[in-house]
Amino acid sequence: MAKVGSPSEERAGARGRVPSRHPEEGAAGAEGRFKTEEMILNVGPQHPATHGVFRLLATIDGEVLIDADPVIGYMHRGYEKLVEQRDYRQITNLVSRMDWLSGINNELPLALAVEKLMEIEVPPRAQYLRVILCEMNRILNHLMFFASFGAELGAITPTFYAFREREDIQRVMEATTGGRMHFGFFRPGGIKEDVPEGFVEGALAGVRQVIDRLPDYENLLVGNEIFKQRTIDIGILEEEAAYSYGVSGPIARGSGITMDVRKDEPYLVYDQFDFDVQSAPNGDCFDRFWVLIREVGESARIVEQAIEGLPPGPIMGKVPRVIQAPEGEVYVRCENPLGELGMYLVSDGDRRPYRLKIRTPSYSNVSALSYVLKNTYVSDMIAILGSFFFVLGDIDR
Amino acid sequence: MAVIEKVKLPGPASWLLNWSRKYSLWMMQFGLACCGIEMGAAIASKFDIIRFGVIPFPASPRQADLLVVAGTVTDKMAAPIKRVYDQMPEPKYVISMGSCANCGGPYWDSYAVTKGVDQIIPVDVYVPGCPPRPEALLQGVIRLQQKISGENPSEKWLGHTTPIPVIPEPGLAGGV
Amino acid sequence: MFDITLATWQILVIKIIVILTVVPVGALVGGYAEHKVMAHLQHRLGPMYPGGFHGWATTLADGIKFLYKEDIIPAAADRKVFSLAPAAIMVPIIMTYLVIPIDRALIVEDLDVGIFYLLAVGSLSTIGLLMAGWSSANKYALIGALRSAAQLIAYELPIVLAAVVVAMLAGSLSLIDIVETQNWPFAIWPPGIGFIAFLLFTVGAVAEMTRVPFDMPVAESEIITGPFTEYSGMRYIFAHMFAEMGHMVAFGGIGATLFLGGYQPIVPIPFLDFIPGVIWFSAKTMFMIFLFLWIRPTFPRVREDQLQKFAWKFLIPVGLALVLVTGAWVLYV
Repeated sequence: MAKVGSPSEERAGARGRVPSRHPEEGAAGAEGRFKTEEMILNVGPQHPATHGVFRLLATIDGEVLIDADPVIGYMHRGYEKLVEQRDYRQITNLVSRMDWLSGINNELPLALAVEKLMEIEVPPRAQYLRVILCEMNRILNHLMFFASFGAELGAITPTFYAFREREDIQRVMEATTGGRMHFGFFRPGGIKEDVPEGFVEGALAGVRQVIDRLPDYENLLVGNEIFKQRTIDIGILEEEAAYSYGVSGPIARGSGITMDVRKDEPYLVYDQFDFDVQSAPNGDCFDRFWVLIREVGESARIVEQAIEGLPPGPIMGKVPRVIQAPEGEVYVRCENPLGELGMYLVSDGDRRPYRLKIRTPSYSNVSALSYVLKNTYVSDMIAILGSFFFVLGDIDR
Repeated sequence: MAVIEKVKLPGPASWLLNWSRKYSLWMMQFGLACCGIEMGAAIASKFDIIRFGVIPFPASPRQADLLVVAGTVTDKMAAPIKRVYDQMPEPKYVISMGSCANCGGPYWDSYAVTKGVDQIIPVDVYVPGCPPRPEALLQGVIRLQQKISGENPSEKWLGHTTPIPVIPEPGLAGGV
Repeated sequence: MFDITLATWQILVIKIIVILTVVPVGALVGGYAEHKVMAHLQHRLGPMYPGGFHGWATTLADGIKFLYKEDIIPAAADRKVFSLAPAAIMVPIIMTYLVIPIDRALIVEDLDVGIFYLLAVGSLSTIGLLMAGWSSANKYALIGALRSAAQLIAYELPIVLAAVVVAMLAGSLSLIDIVETQNWPFAIWPPGIGFIAFLLFTVGAVAEMTRVPFDMPVAESEIITGPFTEYSGMRYIFAHMFAEMGHMVAFGGIGATLFLGGYQPIVPIPFLDFIPGVIWFSAKTMFMIFLFLWIRPTFPRVREDQLQKFAWKFLIPVGLALVLVTGAWVLYV
């Protein structure tokens, strides 16, 4: 495997060498072929395959993509500046909308950061409920990517099935928090309110239904010969490259890196549950997707365990009426469904943060795109974009 | 459409034209942010927007009648939205879905967000919510259908400002 | 039956009117069927309100609306070619309807070389697709057009080979003769041979119609309906909707004629003869169409090069071997 430099070096290197006409032949096979003209294809910002407003400047030679340049920033809303204008209660609702597929997972690091600064102890019941909600949200997120990946490969039916399951889990989440996507439920010190009656049964039923139907999904896509043809050995991101681009989450685990903040540096009560870090060695589209599907099962396992061990007690720690973090700085990292989400909070003792730097998983993950997309077919580009699970709001903030 | 411009349409013809527009809303999905996911949910099994004759399949704006702007419109994205709208053939309709597209929503004081998509393209129906529930989008579609059924096609083509028709009491679009 | 004598030109006019009505009506019904079949396979209801009863009028509304939508021709497009392309796509598809026997007497022209004519005409619409893709001045359209040209050439051959098998079994190129010789439908008898030919035909037909899993040329999530990206209004429904659905109905009819015994009863029991041939033919055609509709929500899309490999390295050798086996069958059995 070639050593991987920085993205710009890589691109410079690619321009220098003769582009291979065929991904399987390598650069050497290109000699002696007639010269064809390259064409720049502008994919996006509004393109059905980019799930969101992602833009890709693709230089193509026939059906082969010889260079791809992601253009981001179409969803930049100035989060890091906005949070400086809001107090801590308001920020919860704001960061929930940052990565719209995993709202409650975004609220978590913020709550943890404020709690760390203010030295608030969170009661165990709140911690357990946080875990349950986070994992259910992870299932929602993963099902969404299951849906979109199928749709991008031309299989429309998985989309509808995944949305059906999403509705089941969303119903439980909504009964608890009042929101379908943006929950605004985690407060510094605990959660907003205790779960309603019937939560335990509803959550268990929803999660078990997902577990029951998971084999169906696997048969529908993973067991399909065409699907295998489209994804195996396509868009390979090697372990070394994944490290050097700072890739995390299911994409990194699909490249053979067993990295999971929930295991490596347990927060909340994750160390009390029995779950595996799913990983696959090859780093192609199939492995990334496989890891994603497996993680749904793992999340469901965690939810089941957490519901079993759910302790009684208060749901809010001792929190002053006005949340005013003392002077200081803190970095918290959590395992977002898409990878590692870090928040660096600097406080000057005000009700509002002085600075909040957000390290989002999708931003680092898509930086590996132009490396992976080189010398692939146009059709594979769609498969690769689908397997690089990213959310535009998470990239641009 | 010279005939329609010059001749006053008889009632049944204008009813037929309105009816066909009403039940054949090919929807260009402009899923920008969170609302895009709820738009997806509205299309999917439980809510099934196709029941109302809204066909969410066209990928190209050239075949679309209805543009649903779902999500935050940033200043960088405003130009592409205008362009997609211009690429759509007349008669065309726009639904602005979600607080961000309506007025900027939670990003009302952001330096990068366009406060309301109606600053760049005309909007027919606003759907409030952050994000609106799929039912809200369905209600928006029904409102739009009610608006279409009260339109005067020849005025629409001549570019006159059609007065907003009296909307009957809310309810399903039912019947023909 | 009727004691009316008509001049040749009058009969011709009637035939033209009938065909020109059947194709769009078939396309509208096919479109509605597609909505409903897909919806029910996906835990949905599909159109419910347009027209009142289960949304029966949804494609009718589409048809009327598209007739008066604004017709946009891009500034950079080659206007003449761009305007002609939908006709070049649509006309060959209408022409295929000419030789399909709906009943013994219900056929527009019983050509002696009916099957040959079908195959020759069926591949003509590729030219229209190429015209559409090239003249649109759109890169996605161009990619789609080139893909569809390559694909239609590759998948014409399995259909041809399957048709050759049928022609050998029937000993005739006339479609009426082919139907009449099917005492048992060819898909059932001779065992194996007919069925494999039927499968070859179905795969080839799905690819010819550019439907999933062979819909690379028009892949919505990839190259935005390929050659039709820039088409709007009436040109779009003729080039894409009517063409696709008309193609599907035509292929359903061809499949029913060649492999399922056309207007003959499905099993040779004299008792079944009281059911008119039109009904047998329609039922078989609907079965074929349902098959095509069923495939669409089931599979992901095959990549362009895999699709070519599948045609050239698998389907065509199988077809050639099948022709040999059929020869042996016809000679010795």
